[in-house]
Order: sequence, then C-alpha cells, then structure tokens
Amino acid sequence: MLSITWLRRNLLSLVWLFATPFSLLFIITVTTGGRSFPLGVIGSLLLVLSTVGTGLAGDATWYRLETKLQDFFVASPVNQLGYLLGIAFAGLFFASPALVVLLPLLVYIGLPLFTLPLVLLSLVGVWLFSSAIGYLVSTFTSNLRNGWQSGLLLSVLVGILPPVFYPAEILPRNILIVTYAIPTTNAALLIRDAMGGTPTLPYWSPLTGWILIILSLAIALAVTSRVARWRQP
Amino acid sequence: MNAIEAVSLSKIYHRSKTQALSDITLTIGRGEIFTLLGRNGAGKTTFLRIAATQLMPTKGRISVLGHDVRDEPLEIRSKIAVVPQEGSTIGPLTPWDHVYLTLIARGLSRNEARQRAEKTIAQLELLEYRNQPADSLSGGLRQRVRVAMAVATDADFIFLDEPTLGLDAVSRRRIWGVLNEIQKEGRSILLTTHYIDEAEILSNNVAIIDRGRLVVSGSPAELLRNVKERVRVDIVGSSFSPEELKSYGRVVKLAERFRVLTDDRRGKELADEAVRRGSDVALARVSLEDLFVDLVGRVEE
Repeated sequence: MLSITWLRRNLLSLVWLFATPFSLLFIITVTTGGRSFPLGVIGSLLLVLSTVGTGLAGDATWYRLETKLQDFFVASPVNQLGYLLGIAFAGLFFASPALVVLLPLLVYIGLPLFTLPLVLLSLVGVWLFSSAIGYLVSTFTSNLRNGWQSGLLLSVLVGILPPVFYPAEILPRNILIVTYAIPTTNAALLIRDAMGGTPTLPYWSPLTGWILIILSLAIALAVTSRVARWRQP
Repeated sequence: MNAIEAVSLSKIYHRSKTQALSDITLTIGRGEIFTLLGRNGAGKTTFLRIAATQLMPTKGRISVLGHDVRDEPLEIRSKIAVVPQEGSTIGPLTPWDHVYLTLIARGLSRNEARQRAEKTIAQLELLEYRNQPADSLSGGLRQRVRVAMAVATDADFIFLDEPTLGLDAVSRRRIWGVLNEIQKEGRSILLTTHYIDEAEILSNNVAIIDRGRLVVSGSPAELLRNVKERVRVDIVGSSFSPEELKSYGRVVKLAERFRVLTDDRRGKELADEAVRRGSDVALARVSLEDLFVDLVGRVEE
C-alpha cells in the first residue's frame, strides 16, 4: 500500500531501481560484444531483488528511528517476523517494474517456461535472505546515515561481487566455495542450469544449489529472529 | 488485578552508563488515567517503554494487566497499544491509511477496521483531512493521526508518550476528550506529559519522577491536600521588597513576577495589601504545577 502510493507520487524511484542493474547489463553486454548478455540479465535480476532486500538496512532503520513504527508494532500483537515480511513486501513492490522487464527477457533469451516456477522460487529465496540480513543490520544501527550506507555495502556483497554477472568458473576454487554461502551465487547457477548451460563446478550440482539456498535462508531467518533487536535490551 | 504493578523497578543503560530508573514501586489501577510527570530525562519514557514491552528492565519486577513484562510479553502485546514519543507519520499515506492499515495489521477484520477507523477519525476531527497525504498535513494534525492509530485499536491499555507535545490548545482539548471517552469504555491509559494542567485535568492519579526516582504519587487532589501552602499570590512589579514578601510565605521569582506560596489568611492579607499599593495581583489555590516545581526544585527562588 505504502509502496503503491509512494511510486504513484515519486516516479523517479523507478529510475533509481532501474539504474544500477541496467547500467551493469549495458556495460557487460557492450564490453563482451553481446556474448554475456544472458549473464547480464541474470545478474540484473538478482541484483534488483537483493538490493530491495538489503535496502531494509536503511528502510527499517528509518521506520525505527524516524517514524517509530517499529516501537509502535513491538507493543502490539504483530510479531517480528510479520513486521519483517510487511516491510520486505513493501520493498519488493519497488522491484516489480524491473522484474516485469527482466523476467520476460529471461524467457525470451532461453529460459524454458516450465522452469519459471522454480526460478521464481530461487528468486524468492534471494529476496528473503537479503531482507533478513538487511533487517538484522538495521536493528543494530543507531543512525539513519549508517543504515543507508550498510544497505549499499550489503547490496554490493550480495548482489554484485558474487558470480552473478560473470561466470563462476573463472573464480579461484577457494573463493568460489566461499561464494556458495551466498544464495545469489546458487540462484545464478540454477538459472544458468535451467537455461541449459549447467555449470561444471567443484562440489556443486543443481541439488546442492537448492540445498544451499534453503540452508542459507534458514540460517539467516533463524539468526535474525534470535539476534535482531525487537525489544531493546 | 491492577493495570500495572511495578516493584523496585530499575533500568541502567549500560552503553551510556545512565541510571534511568531507580527502585520504582508503583501501582496503576485498571480503568484509570495515570500520568507520569517529570522533567526531561527524568525517566518517564523509560518507564513507559518497559511497561509497553519495548525495553527490558535491568532489575525489579513489573507486570502489566497481570502479565510479567520479562516472561509474558506476547500476552501483554495483544492487549496494549502505544503512541511512541516524537515519531512521525509516513509521507504519502493518508490519515485513513494510517489508521485502517494499523488495525488490519493488528488482525482486525476489514469490516471492524473500517468501522473503528471511521469512528476515530471523526472523534479526532480528521474527517476533512482523511484522504490527504500525511506529508501535506501540519505537525499538529500528524500528531493527531498518530494518536488515532493507537486509540482506534481494541487495546485494553493505551500508552501515550507525550501525545499532545506541540499541539495547540484546541487540539489538546480534542485529545483530552477522546481519552476521556476511552476511559469510559473501561480502558486504562498511561500518559507522560510535560503539561501539568493536562495531568491535573485528565488524571485519576499522577506520579512525579525525578532523576529516575519516584518522588510522589497519588490523585491530584490528594497530593495538593498534603501541600503546606494552600494559596498562591502572584504579584507583578516591584511594589514589595523581597524581604517583605518573604514575611508572608515562600517566594518564587517567575520572570517579572513574584509568586508567594502561603496559607489562606496570609494570602488574603498580601493580596489586599498589593491592591492597596496598586500592584497587579492574582490570588489562586496552589496547583499541581506549584507542587511539581516545589518537589522537583531547581527553579530560581
């Protein structure tokens, strides 16, 4: 509701969310002569979803410190997970225009339609993971500026540095294994697999990719629900 | 069962090494409007936040509606609503959105949420603004929206942390009216305020907190009965020397006027003398504000 109203009154918000992923898509496509266009689309999709999630580091800080919305809901029947999902969905709405462009594009360049539900499921995993850590960080942030900056840093760590815009195969083995802990890596590999380009990587298969996404999401949600500050100490 | 029972409640903010509350023992009855009074940083908000399960106590025990805040926060949260201090509304949402969506989030049915939102928006005289974006409203109207978000709920116990801060006199009275209506429904209210007249008019009971300690509590009438001086005489100008005034009672200097706190007979004598000397004078019963200033001290005498 908030997001719809916000977008209606601030159309420039769309430009902001389009800007980074589509700029990277443009650069990757141009510099590789179009060869890495599919990787660019996959990376952009994952960057959009991880950014709206990690952006909660700033958004949730704003809700807590400026509007006191978190205090308002702590003292109510709404629990922490419900609150987290509520503000995460509000953020997801901002991603929807980019998704409307990128998902059909993904199908156009080779993603079989029947694999779309599974791809969407992996994207949901990325979004929830990013939202959980964004929210977790927000609850320890004592000023708004730090909140926005943490969100940007997390966005780079989750959405840009892992092998989502470039092939995982080029990473040194040790670093590659570390990136398996980030669900964006596994989602990118699963989408490549669904498009027929199953990556050949050490210790990785589509099954392990799913297990790792579920595991990292479960850990992120468990840590957030135990560690995040809902009631202040 | 009382609305709040606090026993030896203490709170230390470890990061700033501040003792915000110290050994507070306090009981708040069900269905009453209870006001916490105190200077800035006295500990009012800390007490309210602990009771509202937003903040953990350091020591002592406090129960709200029969449930312990440490061990049974979920039971408490289903029965309370809070207006936090100095929050803001959310830009593009309208007053209607704020109130209606809050009720939906708390689990009310759409129908009930609609009815309650309609009623509260009317009560707080927000009807003509109900569909305007909150960021186009004045500060006072936005504050009324925040109060509406809590008041519209079905909570048994409503906590309001300085709900009338910065409001004009008419808006304050509108909120007082709504709080009285809530009380008539049998609900309890814990209020913090800097406005002592507000506490005196609204409250069944008040507590004065100073530097984290409970100074006194009781009904405004009870507290005033225990005050040594019964009347106050305000004299503008300098027709009396400070020594002369002191012979009538205790003198407090307030900007360009002297306030003399004394008994009925001496007060009348002083007022008559001031009239004879052509001074502007006002004779009145001592108020909660006089008691507050007396107890909390630290004013220029």
